[in-house]
Amino acid sequence: MASIAVVGQFADIQGRPRKLWTQSLSWVLFLVGIFVYTQFSMVRHKENPEDRVVPSVSQLYHGIKGAVLEPAEEDDPLDDNATLAQRLMHSMLAKDTLSSGGRFFAALLLLIPAILLGLHMAVFPFAEAIFLRFTLFFDKIVALSLLPILFIAFGIGDWAKIMLMVIGVAPTLMLDTYNLAKAVPREQVVKAFTLKSSNVDVAYRVVLKQILPQIINSVRLNLKPLALFLFAGEMIVSSDGLAYRIGIMRRHMGMDIIIPYILWVAVLLFGLDALLKFANRRLHPWA
Amino acid sequence: MGLAMRVLETEAAVEAQAAPVEIALRDVSVSYAVGNGKSKTVLSKLNLEILAGEFVAVLGETGCGKSTLLRMVLGQEFPTTGAIHVDGKQVTRIDARCGYVPQKYSLFPDRTMIQNVMYGPENAFCGWFGRLLPSYRKFRKRLRAEAEEQLLRMGLRAGDFNKYPHQLSGGMQQRVAIAQALMMKPPVLLMDEAFSALDPTTRASLQEQLRAIWQETRPTVLFVTHNTAEALLLGSRLLVLKPHREGSEESNVLLDMPLPQSSDPIAVREQSHEFLELREYVKRQAYGASSRSKQDFTEQETDESGDSL
Repeated sequence: MASIAVVGQFADIQGRPRKLWTQSLSWVLFLVGIFVYTQFSMVRHKENPEDRVVPSVSQLYHGIKGAVLEPAEEDDPLDDNATLAQRLMHSMLAKDTLSSGGRFFAALLLLIPAILLGLHMAVFPFAEAIFLRFTLFFDKIVALSLLPILFIAFGIGDWAKIMLMVIGVAPTLMLDTYNLAKAVPREQVVKAFTLKSSNVDVAYRVVLKQILPQIINSVRLNLKPLALFLFAGEMIVSSDGLAYRIGIMRRHMGMDIIIPYILWVAVLLFGLDALLKFANRRLHPWA
Repeated sequence: MGLAMRVLETEAAVEAQAAPVEIALRDVSVSYAVGNGKSKTVLSKLNLEILAGEFVAVLGETGCGKSTLLRMVLGQEFPTTGAIHVDGKQVTRIDARCGYVPQKYSLFPDRTMIQNVMYGPENAFCGWFGRLLPSYRKFRKRLRAEAEEQLLRMGLRAGDFNKYPHQLSGGMQQRVAIAQALMMKPPVLLMDEAFSALDPTTRASLQEQLRAIWQETRPTVLFVTHNTAEALLLGSRLLVLKPHREGSEESNVLLDMPLPQSSDPIAVREQSHEFLELREYVKRQAYGASSRSKQDFTEQETDESGDSL
């Protein structure tokens, strides 16, 4: 009877799990994942001790150690007496993270004008008339299909990948900002004008300020698509970067590097998302 | 009509000679396209002059065009024909000639109570670059003191000044909204069902305060309401609009009359024989003349204002 009651609690919409329960339950799937992986790895290694498809914990450790402390194959090796800081700074992981990170943040910066354009489309009727239909159409173009054109226009360097990310995410962000700004009650705009606001005041100090928390949330939701376009670009043509390394390692069946890299990307995106969430809460206590 | 009404009309006539016209509507008509090449007329051939310092309460059933009238004076909508002048100039856009207190969304949610009240004067006197001047801090300090005074006058407590709108009750929000509008010292104050979402006690308290402010500073007020008692107790003039009938050439104004003025508290006036007589008179004039059945109006009055005639 007691077990039925426990199961019943899990199916109860009005259930109120205690904080300790909530915290514990949130880690369960991580632990299950690790357990399943290690069991699966152990089974495979019993059959073939040299198995590289599901690396053992020891293989993963050596893979991570090499990625974090050793330079990439294409780079010059470090002196034997290099310090830990030097090893970390010149490691394969640091090099790839910095390359991908640079592209990622360059694209994020270039998305700011897109957000502002979305705002202007919502607030200024003439901007709406000029840009809205085009943006709606442009949003339907599959960004990856533009990749050959981008490589021709921007070369095979970083700009093609950055533009792919911008073109892939900008229309969504623009339209999201447009919808958010349109949803600001008309009374607020009218009230602002009666309080001697200029057009710029209304756009930036009234509308933008009110929707900024939601825009930040929209950016948070678009972090993964942004990373997706970055990976697509890097996997097709690149000489460094996290996705480039995963692509190279795939050829060598280097799962001891690929798995830590995948988790590292997830941790970076999770951290950035958490940072934006935290900043949003601190900067906009009213939201 | 009793003796009081006749005395009032005489008083109003004397006032009319002294005060300039603040809001003027000349042959104003408003029509909307409703599809299939047809249009619906909301207001027809409306001619109206509102004098400086008048408190005009606008009553009427849903769809009679009272909110449209207010939005046109504000500059948010434009007449299909005719022209509207406020403070001697034609209304072509929304500007600071009119203060505005809507029923909801009246405060900026991202600003605290005090910031909301300071927003207008800061815009008016500082602009974007004025904030960089050394004198800005001094100005802001003075402005804050003025804003605090205005909020205290509206019956708000100093401990709440740094709260955001979502932390305030509906009544407090409307008090702040009125203070915010009054900080700009606009010649005209437009209130669109500003108290209709409030509970009766808060509503009565705000009515009393608005009345006191109007008597003290005498802005021209255009107050749109569904509540007959509120209109009669607050206004110095009553304007009752009726819905336009298609094909009719008639104006929408059903009743335009001065209202009794008294220094007695609203709660006392509400119980007076004169008020009850006046309410009965307005009821007869406004609703007795309508084509709709008496039962329909009673239901509407009860539903929308909670103040059945």
